[in-house]
Amino acid sequence: MNNTNKTNLADNSRRKFIRGFGLLVGCSTAATLLTGNAIAVAMSYAPNADSTLTNGKVFTRAQLLQLEKICSIVIPATDTLGAAEVDTHGFIDNQLYHCHSKKVQHKAIAMLTLLNVEASNHFSRPFIELTSNQQYQLLNDIDQGKAAFNKQQRSEFKFLKQLICFGYYTSEVGATQELRYDPVPGGFKGSIPYKETDASWATSTLFS
Amino acid sequence: MNENLYINKSNQEYDAIVIGSGISGGWAAKEFCERGHKTLMIERGRVVEHRKDYIGENTPMWQQEHRGQVDNILVDQQYSIQKQCYAFGNTTKHFFGNDRDLPYQTKKGTDFTWIRANQLGGKSLLWHRQTYRLGEYDFNANKLDGYGTDWPIRTKDIEKWYSHVEIHAGISGSKENLPNLPDSEFLPPFEMTSPEKHIKAKFAELFPDRPLIMGRTAHLTKPTQLHISQGRVQCQARNECHAGCSYGAYFSTQSSTLPAAAKTGNLHIAPNSVVHSLIYDEKTNRVKGVRVIDNDDLSEREYFAKVVFVCASTIGSTQILMNSKSKKFPNGIANSSGVLGHYLMDHNYNSVSSGDIDGFEDEYYSGRRPTSLIIPNFYYKPDPKRGFLRGYALAGGAYRKGWQSQQHQDGLGVEYKNKLKQAGKWAFGLYAQGEMLPKFENQMRLHPSLKDKWGMPQIEFDVRFSDNEKAMMEDAAEQSIKMLKAAGLKNVTGHPNQGPPGLAIHEVGTARMGRDPKTSFLNAFNQSHDIPNLFVTDGASFCSSAVQNPSLTFMALTARAVDYAVKELAAKRI
Ligand SMILES: Cc1cc2nc3c(=O)[nH]c(=O)nc-3n(C[C@H](O)[C@H](O)[C@H](O)COP(=O)(O)OP(=O)(O)OC[C@H]3O[C@@H](n4cnc5c(N)ncnc54)[C@H](O)[C@@H]3O)c2cc1C
Ligand code: SF4
Repeated sequence: MNNTNKTNLADNSRRKFIRGFGLLVGCSTAATLLTGNAIAVAMSYAPNADSTLTNGKVFTRAQLLQLEKICSIVIPATDTLGAAEVDTHGFIDNQLYHCHSKKVQHKAIAMLTLLNVEASNHFSRPFIELTSNQQYQLLNDIDQGKAAFNKQQRSEFKFLKQLICFGYYTSEVGATQELRYDPVPGGFKGSIPYKETDASWATSTLFS
Repeated sequence: MNENLYINKSNQEYDAIVIGSGISGGWAAKEFCERGHKTLMIERGRVVEHRKDYIGENTPMWQQEHRGQVDNILVDQQYSIQKQCYAFGNTTKHFFGNDRDLPYQTKKGTDFTWIRANQLGGKSLLWHRQTYRLGEYDFNANKLDGYGTDWPIRTKDIEKWYSHVEIHAGISGSKENLPNLPDSEFLPPFEMTSPEKHIKAKFAELFPDRPLIMGRTAHLTKPTQLHISQGRVQCQARNECHAGCSYGAYFSTQSSTLPAAAKTGNLHIAPNSVVHSLIYDEKTNRVKGVRVIDNDDLSEREYFAKVVFVCASTIGSTQILMNSKSKKFPNGIANSSGVLGHYLMDHNYNSVSSGDIDGFEDEYYSGRRPTSLIIPNFYYKPDPKRGFLRGYALAGGAYRKGWQSQQHQDGLGVEYKNKLKQAGKWAFGLYAQGEMLPKFENQMRLHPSLKDKWGMPQIEFDVRFSDNEKAMMEDAAEQSIKMLKAAGLKNVTGHPNQGPPGLAIHEVGTARMGRDPKTSFLNAFNQSHDIPNLFVTDGASFCSSAVQNPSLTFMALTARAVDYAVKELAAKRI
């Protein structure tokens, strides 16, 4: 996803907020909000199609490619983009670097190493060179703590999944296309109909 | 409008000085100004302008730096304590005090989390807006079991002031006619979800003395003409309030009291002015003014007034009072009783429970409701069989699980993705909010040698939850589990926690009111027993913590104290 595209999407949500706000309290004050929030937007992680071309902040280039593959298996593209397409791997690299301890960074690296080691043990190749089926099987085994994987490894993989989910469902595609997000709900309704095919709300508070 | 609202130097003698611009200070300034008194509000922190300075507002996660999380290095270096607050995040961090600049100590073996918000508006920008009156059982509690000193006031003394502040601030909630929790002047309550209505009905049947009601909260669910004239509009249910709300839909100094005060033309504000101590004139036995250190360049200046209201938050106010020493008051100004700094209380939020609700799969909600539900304290009548004194409320509500809780399950690929896309099972959680006993030994004091960068002695906390509080939280976990199971919930779990005092951010009690000047700092009007033109109207004045979130009572006590002070000024008694 390129940068212009991102800015457009960001602007859409803000425009909706400001339009709603302008109707309520008058347009001139609303305009000042644009300047304030621009700061935050400029500092946010910009999804980058090229994030696997070089080493990251925590992961090597090879590890980024491996993580990209894992992202695409955990949350694949369906009628919406998947985790790999929105650069969740690049995001995780950046997020681990800035918001997680060295210990956690090492844990994430160790998980990728473990998957490579097990790939070699079973299929005599690194993870990235396995067939899609083999990759799926390996991830499925660790996700369920089966075959070569123990309970601890299973829970460490769940942590990696957690990073992928966080990266994906807080991305613009994840929150607004896969799930539902309404910047200005206009009030709270305690009961609306729901059917199985409806998407859930992406957030309930400022904090998650 | 007052053209030069913000001042730096001034030789003028104001009618009133208000120290602090949070919930208490905002009310003091508004009430003085509206009564025609020239008022100087002194605030240690920077100016935060309504709307303009809410820099985190309306930024969805993908637009936030680190998707709302905060950079490690920044946290380690500047927010190592503030990060414990649930509301600390990327869109709010600039409203929290900086731990590097604001060091404090805890006595060995004790722990205290001091959450600060040092800017114009104080914690009124960051609060969770839960608003409950204290009732007759609360005012009587100390007298009945002998802990703390008797409140010198009762409901009849304060109810009209509750109404006064509620009408202006805007409080949403439902009328319930409960014996233990008086009703407020209400705007309509937020709606309950269907599972919440179901559990409410279950509890009503099984535990009739434990009604589940909608949380009472300082949000404009339906603004009145008064609110609209203040430039405030209806709450949009974004639940992003802690970042600041340009709709002015929740009560803050900026949305509510400050515009009212400024409109009178009687208000001046001295920002970036760290009050170091009060200037005491022994001859007249009056406080003449305050000594201030500039927040930025550390230069000194003074301000003068006929009456001084200390509203710098419980701990902030007490720090100033303790640091104001003179020959007559070597242990802190107006502290002839010796109680200043003692009887520090917080609330105890150390029990959680939850369970799953079957059914309601075709039910959902829209909007992000900025409040939960509450079961008011059902132990308001003392009972020796209970094994502990006082009581707790249970707050919580129903939610439908989203990706945040479903991500932990097994699964990969399309099936996993589709599962996370759907709303999951309904669940219901309760957490306890318990009263803390007033005890002399729970205290704050000035450190004998350590100072902060403004030359203020650092505070040392010496506060512990006692066995009473621990027993109460065990009971809360047990009762919650019992109630959730009885209501038919599945997978019910619950347990007491070990969070430190301070983290409820409901500090009260360090300059308590009372009838006897020998055992209390303030009289029934928040006026110092020792010095007639000195008032403390924030949480420091509390005699007991009760169970309710305290800030509505700070507002009412403050408005009442100003009314009294204005009359005393007119009568030339102060
Ligand atoms: C996340 C959070 C959630 C909360 N939720 C609730 C809730 O739901 N319900 C509730 O009732 N309460 C809640 N509280 C507590 C509530 O915010 C406080 O009780 C309330 O704001 C206290 O008001 P105050 O005016 O006394 O102090 P503050 O709002 O803290 O304001 C004090 C002001 O004084 C200034 N000051 C301090 N020292 C000095 C000095 N030396 N010189 C000059 N100025 C000084 C500070 O900078 C500050 O601006 C919550 C607090 C937080 C942080
Ligand atoms: S929920 Fe209401 S008060 Fe909170 S930010 Fe949204 S509009 Fe403002």
